[in-house]
Parts: sequence; C-alpha cells; structure tokens
Amino acid sequence: MPFDCKHIRNFSIVAHIDHGKSTLADRLLEHTGTVEKRQLKEQMLDDMELERQRGITIKARAVRMEYRHKGELYELNLIDTPGHVDFQYEVSRSLACCEGAVLLVDAFQGVEAQTVANAYSAIAQDLTIVPVINKVDLTYARVDEVLEEMEQSLAIDPEEVIRASAKSGIGIEEVLEAIVERVPPPVGDPDKVLRAMVFDSLYDAYRGAITYIRILDGTVRKGQKIRFARQGTTHEVTELGQFVPQRRACEELRAGQVGYLVCNIKDVKQVHIGDTVTVPGDEAAEALPGYKPPQRMVYCGLYPSEGENFEELRDSLEKLAINDPSFEYSPESSDALGFGFRCGFLGLLHMEIIQQRLEKESDLDLVQTAPNVTYQVLTSSGETLEITNPQDVPDSGQIEEFRQPIVRTNFITPAEYIGPIMQLCTDRRGVYLKTEYLSPTRAMLCFDLPLAEVIYDLHDKLKSVTKGYGTMDYELQGYFPADLVRLDILVGGKKVDALSIICDRRDADRRGRAIVKKLRGEIDRHMFEVALQAAIGTRIIARETISALRKNVTAKCYGGDISRKKKLWAKQKEGKKRMKSIGSVDIPQKAFMAVLDTGQERT
Amino acid sequence: MSGLPRSVYLHVPFCRHRCGYCDFTLVAGRDDLIDQYLEALERELRRLTQPLEIDTLYLGGGTPSHLGGERLERLFAMLRQTLHPVEHAEITLEANPLDVNEPFVAAARRCGVTRVSLGSQSLDVATLRVLDRDHMPDDVRRASGMLAEAGMSRSLDLMTAAPGQTVTDVERDLEAIVSLEPEHVSVYCLTWEQGTAFETQRRKGLLEPVTDLAERAMFEAAIDRLGDAGFEHYEVSNFARPGHRCRHNEAYWDLRPWEAFGPGAARFDGRTRVTNHRSTTTWIKRVLGGHDPTGDRDAMSAEEAARERLVVGLRRRAGITVADFETVSGFTPRQLAAKSIDRWIADGLAVEEEGRLWLTRDGLLVSDSLWADVL
Repeated sequence: MPFDCKHIRNFSIVAHIDHGKSTLADRLLEHTGTVEKRQLKEQMLDDMELERQRGITIKARAVRMEYRHKGELYELNLIDTPGHVDFQYEVSRSLACCEGAVLLVDAFQGVEAQTVANAYSAIAQDLTIVPVINKVDLTYARVDEVLEEMEQSLAIDPEEVIRASAKSGIGIEEVLEAIVERVPPPVGDPDKVLRAMVFDSLYDAYRGAITYIRILDGTVRKGQKIRFARQGTTHEVTELGQFVPQRRACEELRAGQVGYLVCNIKDVKQVHIGDTVTVPGDEAAEALPGYKPPQRMVYCGLYPSEGENFEELRDSLEKLAINDPSFEYSPESSDALGFGFRCGFLGLLHMEIIQQRLEKESDLDLVQTAPNVTYQVLTSSGETLEITNPQDVPDSGQIEEFRQPIVRTNFITPAEYIGPIMQLCTDRRGVYLKTEYLSPTRAMLCFDLPLAEVIYDLHDKLKSVTKGYGTMDYELQGYFPADLVRLDILVGGKKVDALSIICDRRDADRRGRAIVKKLRGEIDRHMFEVALQAAIGTRIIARETISALRKNVTAKCYGGDISRKKKLWAKQKEGKKRMKSIGSVDIPQKAFMAVLDTGQERT
Repeated sequence: MSGLPRSVYLHVPFCRHRCGYCDFTLVAGRDDLIDQYLEALERELRRLTQPLEIDTLYLGGGTPSHLGGERLERLFAMLRQTLHPVEHAEITLEANPLDVNEPFVAAARRCGVTRVSLGSQSLDVATLRVLDRDHMPDDVRRASGMLAEAGMSRSLDLMTAAPGQTVTDVERDLEAIVSLEPEHVSVYCLTWEQGTAFETQRRKGLLEPVTDLAERAMFEAAIDRLGDAGFEHYEVSNFARPGHRCRHNEAYWDLRPWEAFGPGAARFDGRTRVTNHRSTTTWIKRVLGGHDPTGDRDAMSAEEAARERLVVGLRRRAGITVADFETVSGFTPRQLAAKSIDRWIADGLAVEEEGRLWLTRDGLLVSDSLWADVL
C-alpha cells in the first residue's frame, strides 16, 4: 500500500560531534524494527570503513523506517548528515530534503559550536526543530543548565525538549511520537508531473550511478523514462527503491518519499547533485533552484613518489572524485616534485580523508605538500587571480592587492576560558566581534580570523587551552586585503618550490626560522652537509645546517644478525620510497608539512 | 653453493646477570634451567640424521663459560656423538673473565677448545662499571695470561661509545689490550637496543649516548692503533694477527651453510636462514615436547641471496672479488646495484680496482646507509 503524504515524515538529526547522533539513529532503527537487534552493529548508517574508524559521518545517507502511531502506519525517512564543519554544505543539502530536524544536545557537554551552526541551518530552511537532550542518565548530566543554554542561544522552549538517552533507550518512543506529531508532512501531489531533487549520488561498480532523490511531486515508476533537468539527459529507470537501510527495490516512489534510482548511468559525472529529476518532453517540470556548489577552502599538491605512477594517481583521483564531487583536482608540475596534481578540499579533515582513502584504495606512495588556502591577487593590470598554489604568486611589482579569506568564527566555551581564547585569536591576527553569554557559566565568542590561521591548528589549540570543553565553527566572510608575502625554502642551495608558503609579512622572519629549524629535524643526515635557508625573494632570512653523517655501521653481523638487520634496512628502504630526491638530498614526506610550523609557542 | 654444513653454532643462553646494554637471547639467574637445556639440546641435535664432520664449532651466548668445567665436559661428550671436528678444527668458547680459572681451562682443553673469546669489554674500571660488567680489569689480565699459558688462541672484546667514555679512554683501553698480546680483537660500538635497561634510561635522560663524532673518532682510533700493532682489520668489527682470523665467522660471511642449535640460534642452508625461538623456556618446551622450535624463516631467492652476499662481502675490508662473486652467486655486483656502486665510487666511499670492489674507510664507517639501495 503506497503511503500518502500525510503518512510520511522526512527528517534529519543534527548535533555537535559526539553528542550521540549515530547512537540515536541506531536506536530509532531498532525501535521501529527496521533492523533487528542482533543485526545491529554500531554506527549502522556509517558504512564507510573510515567513518566507523573515526566515529564520524562523511557522506549523507537515507534510511526508511515504519512506525505505528495511534493506529496509523507512518513512513519515516531519516536523512543522515555529516557533522563536521568541512561537510557543512552536505548538511544543508540533506536538510533541503526534510521538513524537520531532531536537534540533539548532550546533557553534559551542552550547546556547542556545531549545535548552533546546524540549528541555524535548519531554521534557515524553515524546518521544524524537535529538540532532544541526550544522555540524561549520565551521572554528570546538567539537564537544567543545558536547557537554559538551548533557550538562550537558540530560543528553544524548555517545555518542548524531549529528555532522552539513546544509549539506554530512554525517550526513544517520545522522539518518534514527536517526529510524527510535530514535523509537518511533506506537501506534494503524487498525480502531478514528476519533480524530484537529487541530494546525493554514489558509484556502484555493478550498477553504475545510484542517485539519491527526494520526490516533491508526482510518481516515478520502474521502467519509466526520466530526464535530469539541468544536465539535459534522458534515462530509463531500471531500478528504484528505498534504504532499509540496505537498498530495497520497489515498484514506485511517490511525492514526499525519499529513495534511490538506478538508471544504468556508467559515468557518475552525469549525475549532478542538486539537479532535478522530471519527465522528458514538453510536460517537464521546472528545475528546482539546486544547491550552492561546494566551496574548496584548502588546496595541496599530491605527487606520486615514483614519477612513473602519475597516470595511476590520475586514475585513483578520478575514482575518488566520482563519489565525492566536493573534491577537485587538476594536473600541475613542480620543479622539485615533478608531475602531480593540485587538489582542492572542503577543509583539512576532508583532505586527510581523501589522502587516507587514496592510500587505502590504491597502492600508491604519495608525497603531499602542505595545505594552503586560496588567495586572490589583484594585479597592476587590473586582473584578479585566484591563487591556489604559492608558486603562482606574481612578482611583488605586479601585485596591486593581495587578499586572503577571512572567516567568522564562533567559539562556545566555559566562561573561564574566555581569556585564553582571546589570546589565541589575537595571536592569529583575529578581529574581536562580540561575546554572548548562553548561561552564567558558558559564553559564545565571535572573531573574524584569517582562514589560514584557522584551518591548520586552531581546533587543536582550542581543545588544549579549554581542556577539551571549547568548540568552534566558522563561516567564510570573503576575501580581504592583507600584507602577504611568499616565503621560499632552499635546500642545499636549491629552491624547493613545493616548500613555499604565503604568510603575513610580519610573521615571515619568525616562520622562516621555525620552518628551517623543523626541517633540520625532519631531513636525515646525508654523507655531506646540507644547508637549509628561508628567503623572501633573494633575501635570506633564516639558515640552519644539517651536519654530515659521521658513523653508521652495524657492529655485529654474525649468524642470524643479518636477517634482523635486513628487516631494518628494508624498513629504511620503504621510508625512502616516500622521499623525494632534490639535488642529492632525500626529503621525506613529513618535511613537506614542516612549513606549517608557525614558530610560536602560542598558547 | 650448498653441500653439508661444516660449521656449527651452539647457543648457551645462561648468564650470571644481564648487562644493561644487552638484548641477546639469554636468561640470568636461572641456572635451574641448565639441566633441561642440556636435555633439550641433545634432543635438538637429533635433527642431524648422520654425524657431521666440521671445521669450526662456536659456543656463544649468553655466557658458555657459565656452565662450569664439569657441565662443559658433559656437553662436549654429548656433542661428540654427532659432531666430528676435523684435525685442527677451530673450537671457540665465549667466556666471562671471572669464569676463567685453572680447573675450567683444563676442562676446556680436554673438550678440545682451541680458542676463547673473552668478554673483556674494557680495561678501565669506570667504563666496566658503566657497562654493568661484573669483572675488573685485573680479571681480564689474569684470564688472558692463563689462557695464553694453556696455548689457547685469545680474542678480546673491546667496547666503545659507552656513556661517558672519551676518545682518550678508548685509546688507553687499546694500549691495555695490545699489551696483552691477544691473537684477535673484536671492537664493538655500543648500540642502544629497544627493550634494554640502557635504552629505557636514555629515554628518561639518565644516560646519554656519545656524539657520533666521538663514536667515529673512537672507532678510527681502534682501526689505527690495532693496525699499528700488526692486527689486520678484516671485517667491520674484527681484527686479527695474520693467520688468526675467526674461521667460524668467515663461514657466515662467505654465506657457507652452517648448523645451529639452542634458543635464538640461526642456521643456514645456503638459501634459507632459520632462527630458533628466542625465548629459552619456549625453546626448551617446544623441543622437549617434540614440536618445532623455529621462529623466523628468512628464505631468499637466488637474487636476494646474492644481494645479501654483496652486503656481507663489502663489510669485509678486502671487499669482494668480482669474478668469484659472480661464480658463486650467479650475479655480478653491477647487475645488482650498478647505480649505487657508481655513486659510491664517485663519492669516495668505494674503490674498484683489478677485479676487486671494496669500501674505503669513509664508506665502511657509514655503510649501513648504503644498504637500503642494495637490498
């Protein structure tokens, strides 16, 4: 029996990381009998190995549940969203397919930066919020204070907040009831012309592209011809269905429902996230507004250790990009590293994930350069250049204006750490905007900061100065002029282009010194002395020397010693593979990250 | 190259105490295990299906002399059932200077021991104390004299780069050792091995290694002083008066097959190196229980064996004779590592002349950095 809109609810769960989103999802699946308890593994919806390992959600995902309320059977579609700031754009995409959002707040941790950011995203999209306070059975739960924080920061009526513990199964029924009673049913007419939104896609080696859709109007049936409005291509639906949570085929999907389409599309690039699915011909519905394309915030170079693996790397990157349209890459070449790719990511976590997947899924040894943000240069001829690689910075004579991305950053912290956070941000040339108190003991601080200062280590530093209690979130404000320079690094007298960075002129001396010092620790000693220098243009601003290796010889080599030694030497050889020879100096992968050293024992 | 092994190594894992730098296979203060050990050894020797004629026998440890004269004779009686040393065979015993006394030397002679490697380490009180050794300089002098009198060939161990040791200390040790007129000297630079007490203390900042500049100077002092005294530097750590090289060790470096028994002992059949389990108790349990006591297996292809031959060959001061190398291994050195060899020669680390390839002193001193390119 097909469900009409009145009996469908589409919702997602938004929360700060570790507030129990995956556990709540698991519990809902179990409570509705979607998944039997014995089949339940933790983080049911996070099926990427990496997601389980790291305890985070990376890709959006959908699952259908059935729930009986007051004698009526409802179809509940949970559209799962990633929680990390890097994947914020995926959150807004998922939210666009829902009418409601369960806002989950940890009863001990309280309101955190991503709680606020995600709640605002949901409110901005007119979603009904179902507030839930989780982990209420914890000994340290401070329910009343957290309720007050929710009221202060997000204007949530404490009366409306459901007390729950996903781990112990408390309040799960109430959450399901609230979803049915409070979240409005989707509006849509199954008899109108088909109009559905593509909110994600995935590549399956056997079936090709799997397109995730939310039907707004109309009905789509197996065997039917459909058309992607923006892409302008027509396909036949060979399979369609829902996620329970595995894919389960069905005959049709109607207005309000969430599911997937398989159309025998071999190239996933033909499926554009945010595109509209409709029917071919004159009757076709108008395309939906679609999504803002994701913005790449961070770039780095990826090079094969062995030059001949360039094509293999290209294939691997292409394979990855298929399932991750937010990742982009284009070929580039470096004097030091040869041929490789400049890759763009949503943030540092995204970059780390892509790199891990690359190494896992293909057997390639990679050299990665230090990440940098995108800059803008206004040249004297009036042209604006996007700089994603420090090498592309023009000569200083041609620069009219050098601009860097500035992000508005919100910190939520226990009040006693306001001072250290202020210090952290002023050290990073932040501009203070305001402080708001969520409760007598917790505050939200707001700063404008250069993105470059935020992405590298601000999160780690924040955790360390706030003993783990501080959280942050940021949003791009735009590009603003700054006094920036390119700092070059010379190894053994040769400029290593992959080690160049862009930094504030006032920081250049300090960073130059820090980088060469760090490099001295990263580069092994050679048979000869190696000079390390930092320079702006032709001016050397810092120097360190790696002295020549004096003695390295195994004393005992009898009987079985050689077998043990060979293992050690084999390891060294393995290590060498990940090195790049520049001149006759072997530079290990880690050294390329040395340029991130800021040279400040900043708090 | 294979054929039957003509060399046998026997590992005796017992020590009075474990020195702070040592990570060898040994048990200290477990003399209660000696009888079981001998029983297990007898069992393991049964692996040989026929008596073996041997040129060299080496009893290493641990401290083989810790067995004492009586048990040493019992052990040799057992060995003679299956191992038949040829006339003029080299039979080496490692000994702690404190164990060397008249009855022990007499027993060793009766066993046919021809050569004693003395764990002297240093003749300086302070250095011996740092190294955690239980003997004094005079014990070394006394033991060395006694062995010379008994007509044994002597090898003395000298350790360098002990924490706090200076180049002058090493020079003084060298003088002392030369004055004892041993036939052979082994010079070992202290290494900081995982899991040793030294390494733990180093991490805590309680012990500090000497600089590599000093390490090099100490080693060079040894090469120079021993050379002056008429010792031939024939392998990284080994120096011998003419005619007194350790023939047993030369079998290792020629990659000739050898047999080995005891915990942690490694044997080699020309292609595969098989190492017994390193734990004494596990080895005993497995052997006596009729199970396989082996741990690691290092099986090499012809090419891998040739690469290994190149490495151990170049660790010898004479290096390798290119033609012989090819005959024995089936590869020329350049087939294996032409690029590296050319670079070493260009950088003054190696020399190739008249069909011979060897490392210069500079090359030898940093040779571990070269092998990654060869293996």
